Amino acid sequence: MRSLVRLFTFAAVFFFFCNATRGLDLTGLDSVPIQEGGRKKPFLVFADEALLSLSGKSRFLKDGVKISSTMAIASLWLTPLGWEDQPLILIANKKFKDQMGFDPAKKLFSYRELAGSEKLRTALQDVSAIRSKNPKATLDVLQREASTVGMRLAVFEGLVSTRSLTLLPTGAAAWSPLKPDDSALVKLREGFRTNNQADFDAGLAELRTEQAREESRFQADAGKISLEVFYQRLHPFRYAWILYLAAGIGMLVVPGKPGYAWGWSLGLSGFLLQIAGFTLRTIISGRAPVTNMYESVVWVAFGTIFFALIFEAIYRSRYFLLGAVPIAVTSLILADTQPVILDRSIHPLVPVLADNFWLTTHVLTITLSYAAFALALGVGHIILGKSILGGKSSPALHNYLYRTLQIGVLLLAIGTILGGVWANYSWGRFWDWDPKETWCRQVGRIWHGRRRRVGLPIRDHGMVWRELHSRRGTPQLRIRHWWASRSRCFYPV
Amino acid sequence: MTAVERKRLVEARKQSSTFWRVVHWLGSLQLALVLLSTIAIACAVATIAESEFSTKIAQVYIYKAPWFLVWLAVLCINLFAVTMTRWPWEKKHAGFIVTHYGIITLLIGAIIGIQTGFEGNVTLHKDKGPVRKITVNRSIIQVESPNDSALYVMPFDASTSRPSEKRPRVFEVPQTNLQILADGFSDNLIKEEKLVPSESGSPGVMLRFTSPRMGQTLEMPMVLDAKEPQERDFFGLARVVFQSELPPPKQAGGVETQMVFGKFAPVVSGEFKASGIRVVLGADGKKISIAAPDAATVTYLRSEVMKSPIPFGESLVTVDEYWPDFEMVGGRPTTKSDQPNNPAALVRIQNAKASEGDLKPALFAVPSKDGIRYQFQRGGGTYAEGNAKVGDTISTGWADWQVEILSFYPKAAMRSTMQPGPPLPKGEIGVPGFRAKLISPENNGSETRWVASGDITSLTDGKNVVRIGYGLELRPTPFAMRLLNFEVPRYEGTETPSNFIATIEFKEDGTGFTKTGTARMNHPASFPGTLFANFTGINYKFSQAEWNPRDLGETTLQVLYDPGWLLKWVGSLAICIGITVMFYFKPKPKVL
Repeated sequence: MRSLVRLFTFAAVFFFFCNATRGLDLTGLDSVPIQEGGRKKPFLVFADEALLSLSGKSRFLKDGVKISSTMAIASLWLTPLGWEDQPLILIANKKFKDQMGFDPAKKLFSYRELAGSEKLRTALQDVSAIRSKNPKATLDVLQREASTVGMRLAVFEGLVSTRSLTLLPTGAAAWSPLKPDDSALVKLREGFRTNNQADFDAGLAELRTEQAREESRFQADAGKISLEVFYQRLHPFRYAWILYLAAGIGMLVVPGKPGYAWGWSLGLSGFLLQIAGFTLRTIISGRAPVTNMYESVVWVAFGTIFFALIFEAIYRSRYFLLGAVPIAVTSLILADTQPVILDRSIHPLVPVLADNFWLTTHVLTITLSYAAFALALGVGHIILGKSILGGKSSPALHNYLYRTLQIGVLLLAIGTILGGVWANYSWGRFWDWDPKETWCRQVGRIWHGRRRRVGLPIRDHGMVWRELHSRRGTPQLRIRHWWASRSRCFYPV
Repeated sequence: MTAVERKRLVEARKQSSTFWRVVHWLGSLQLALVLLSTIAIACAVATIAESEFSTKIAQVYIYKAPWFLVWLAVLCINLFAVTMTRWPWEKKHAGFIVTHYGIITLLIGAIIGIQTGFEGNVTLHKDKGPVRKITVNRSIIQVESPNDSALYVMPFDASTSRPSEKRPRVFEVPQTNLQILADGFSDNLIKEEKLVPSESGSPGVMLRFTSPRMGQTLEMPMVLDAKEPQERDFFGLARVVFQSELPPPKQAGGVETQMVFGKFAPVVSGEFKASGIRVVLGADGKKISIAAPDAATVTYLRSEVMKSPIPFGESLVTVDEYWPDFEMVGGRPTTKSDQPNNPAALVRIQNAKASEGDLKPALFAVPSKDGIRYQFQRGGGTYAEGNAKVGDTISTGWADWQVEILSFYPKAAMRSTMQPGPPLPKGEIGVPGFRAKLISPENNGSETRWVASGDITSLTDGKNVVRIGYGLELRPTPFAMRLLNFEVPRYEGTETPSNFIATIEFKEDGTGFTKTGTARMNHPASFPGTLFANFTGINYKFSQAEWNPRDLGETTLQVLYDPGWLLKWVGSLAICIGITVMFYFKPKPKVL
């Protein structure tokens, strides 16, 4: 007991010091609305996204101290002096670093290093020359990296010049940054520079007053902003995978009923957390949460657990949950830890994807079918593992696998048809022998043909095929396909 | 009926009747396997062909090829025969039969769609009149016969048939004994314009623009036209004008800059007569007053009007910069502190009437004795002028672009020819075309010409002239289309479009029936759009396809006409129902 008290005291002192070194409390700034990327978002989200696009990380190590994204971005904005020497800007590609003559062992570079590099400047000019000749030109890996680094430099410049901090409603669609002599900005700067909480808070209050000056239709929806702050801090999908992992381990380690009950309750809590996360995200973005790769990965994890729980409720077998957990945990960990590949920020959609009931239902159904197949993958591997270890797998297990495949095939068929409905509704036709359409049907055929030989290890091939072929096809169709959400196309078709 | 009884029945009818033997052969699994595996292989090949070459190649050689159609027809027969082999039908066959008839219906719908329907594009402009033709994705040549001057249309797609010297294509010119021989293909034809001296004609000049930094050059030949100035667009960034008289040197559109101080007299700059507008900055830098020559004065809070133009009489007044504690450091204005010790502001006064066109940089050139006289303008004002002879290079002042006078003829003509350019990198689309010559019975070696898509080219054998056009087919519609309005709303604070909204007026030719439709992204417009039209597919659907960011009055719509759609739908629905019945409404399947 005494050791516990000591531990708590230590923790309290530790946290106190952490706060002391941080100095300012910036939670007030977190919920200040800012217009960026076609929507209004809290400063916290803006800072997370800006730091991520600059450095590829959600925290920044400044002079040996880890600082939050809000702290880093606020500092770039309010006290830009000195930041040009901080190693902040990410260059990931080794070959590119070699080519530019940068230290290949380093990941982060300072603005001064990059802006001063003659080679980088030439590379950026080359890329912009290619783009000006043909805006749709395909760039090679090194050119793409150059363009990404150029974009990062621009983000940095936008922050230190305060140009990209569009905080003020103007009475038109576009907000504007604070003017250099704006008294709120002056106070914020002063407060931030001198670590004076009262000055800083006074500046924040003044900024809020200035924001409230315009008509309400030009302002941000306060409820949505605070909801987004809550969502951004909650990390529902991170806690979901922790819970799922705990559920899986518990079921493996603790035998019998207690282990099963443990798995059920933790799995269910993780599932509820995911529902909460999706609800929040849907309210914030105003659309179904399957419009980019990040959302799809999280959604497939969700679907896998969803079907596993349904089957568990029917069969009480534990194999569904055990099969689902590795898949859900892997996908959620990927989504959680690879923010550069799986971009979690909420962007406005290209027009062809926005405002469409059929598209939403089509994508939701298809991705749910992926989830069912993923569950089949998990259950299938359990069977495979059992037979490799010499144990004879029970007929019941094969029946379970069959059930999951049944759900998958049904959803895939419905989803493909719904895709047809969407296509027909949106541009007037749904079947014309093009590869995407053809191979969607081929996959359906293969699944229907194979459905009885459930024991065969063909489980996930159908999915792989589908992925492959849905990305090919004519440029037009490729853009129309929902993967287009990742390609950021300028032209609608 | 038990399985054994059924087997016996089938054997018996195969023995006794040729009809049933044929039905069972046509409905055999072996035939189905052959058909399906061929189709699967063909689809695989087509998929690869499509990504390696083009959609058109895949369509011409596979999806829309006659043999594929025949194959599908045989598949339909096979599917039908298969249902007949199950005769007499029982309840358990329901799912099976519905599925197979669904596939047949779908395929028939697809064939009807391919044969009678079409897909095309139409570009409409807000300020232009109604359009009655749709560009269909089918290449044709149009040949004008020299005998009756009529136009003859023949389907020909050079990019899929790729004529070569080994495999030439020959077209008869109707009503004559002439032939056109196509024996070469290029997907990147480039128009070469050359300036040549001529007997008669007007002065002509050949300019070459180069930008070392962008590694680009642009050659621009121009011949003077007595009536109107020859104007060329320079990448949308500037204008190049060749005319007979230089415009009088202009002052920079009445742009005037004033450096005003809170505590000192202003510094006014500009090489023109002053606007007379006085701008006064308050001693604390907080207020700014604008006074007209006739003493009308308006005062603003300076912080509120920074960088936004204030209309004032015929002028626009903009406060561009502000320094609270002004100081010149190294020739550049800076501020010593945040305190308004020496407030200063940079004010720009512009003539509000200066139009957009005048503000674009422009190069004016007029012919002189052995070269040109030129004048550069920007913002409506002249910034450079002079004389240049052949071989001279002038700096344009547009980024690092320079212009060289390559040649000059007092009497010149323009000669343009098409020539194949270098092979294009993958993904880029150039102007395709083929090489052709005219052959007559007596003459076999006439001059060859490249016929470019979208152009009309004259072929001659020395005696006859045949005009040939090559390009996409234009299909007339039984109604006229007019763009009433086109809107591109944007996501807040960005230039990213959030939608494309075209309002189109349709007017039927015979009846004069008029209808207005709106095509939004994902929500096409249709004409006639009645219940009957929608149902039968005798209906034109217009969906948003492309837009022109430089001209927001223009939009391109995809037009679709598909009388087979209902069959495709009914077929698909039947397939789904059939599969559901077959697989999900059965006693529990036996477990392996």
